Amino acid sequence: MASLTRSSRTLLRTLPRSSIAPLPVRALSTSSTKRDATTSSFDSPFKGMGGDTTSKIPDFSHYKSKQGSNSNLVFQYFMVGTMGALTAAGAKATVQDFLVNMSASADVLAMAKVEVDLSTIPEGKNVIVKWRGKPVFIRHRTADEIKEAESVKVESLRDPQKDEDRVKKPEWLIMIGVCTHLGCVPIGEAGDFGGWFCPCHGSHYDISGRIRKGPAPLNLEIPAYDFAEEESLVIG
Amino acid sequence: MASVGRPLYNFLFRRNYVFLGVIFASAFGFEIAYDTVTDRIWDNINKGRQWKDIRSKYIESEGGDDDE
Repeated sequence: MASLTRSSRTLLRTLPRSSIAPLPVRALSTSSTKRDATTSSFDSPFKGMGGDTTSKIPDFSHYKSKQGSNSNLVFQYFMVGTMGALTAAGAKATVQDFLVNMSASADVLAMAKVEVDLSTIPEGKNVIVKWRGKPVFIRHRTADEIKEAESVKVESLRDPQKDEDRVKKPEWLIMIGVCTHLGCVPIGEAGDFGGWFCPCHGSHYDISGRIRKGPAPLNLEIPAYDFAEEESLVIG
Repeated sequence: MASVGRPLYNFLFRRNYVFLGVIFASAFGFEIAYDTVTDRIWDNINKGRQWKDIRSKYIESEGGDDDE
């Protein structure tokens, strides 16, 4: 059964080819015989189809450099290098402009540091100076106050910090006078702990500026400062 | 031309790190020259109008009037 259908199919396939299309077959065969005559290996199937004008390689000698390859080489590398140099200079200038733009300007730098003469501050007195738009408390502490600040049990505090970590010289306490709660300026020599008291929401700071009572979460901040000379303080 | 180009090529372009170094060095030099030239042009256009040109008028009478 299967062999019967297959044989009928091959018959149907061969029948029209043999009867209708003898011409293209002959044309194909003539070209193939021609190809076989020239070479035995593979060759372009378009060969011998009358394309002589398209396959002719034009003469480029007119465009060829007369100076030799070396000067062209130097010129090309020179142009590439010049463009690289200009690009590098431009990129550096762009980056530098952005960095200069982001850095502090001269008026900010002029306000960045404040120098205070400590010899004018008597013992047991507060001085408030302005530094970078913020008040800075300077307290000349007495020996009793130093003792009191150092005797506090650090573990019991909300923001545990030893007094010696908050001062460079025990008699001078320097801190930024901005309440760590909502940014009011505390009042000196007030409050339950002999230090500072914030009138806005009732935060009490002790004589080392540490938060003891009230809503503030942290101790008063210590700015960067240095004792340039014995009696001179530089904040910033 | 070839006799001029060949040592130049050998010296500057043949090794890539030398080529790159030459590029950066020339960029550095170019930037200095460019900045100098453009600054000079700018100063020339704005001659007599900049602070450094009129500074001598005001620095002499320094202690006197601050309101100017």
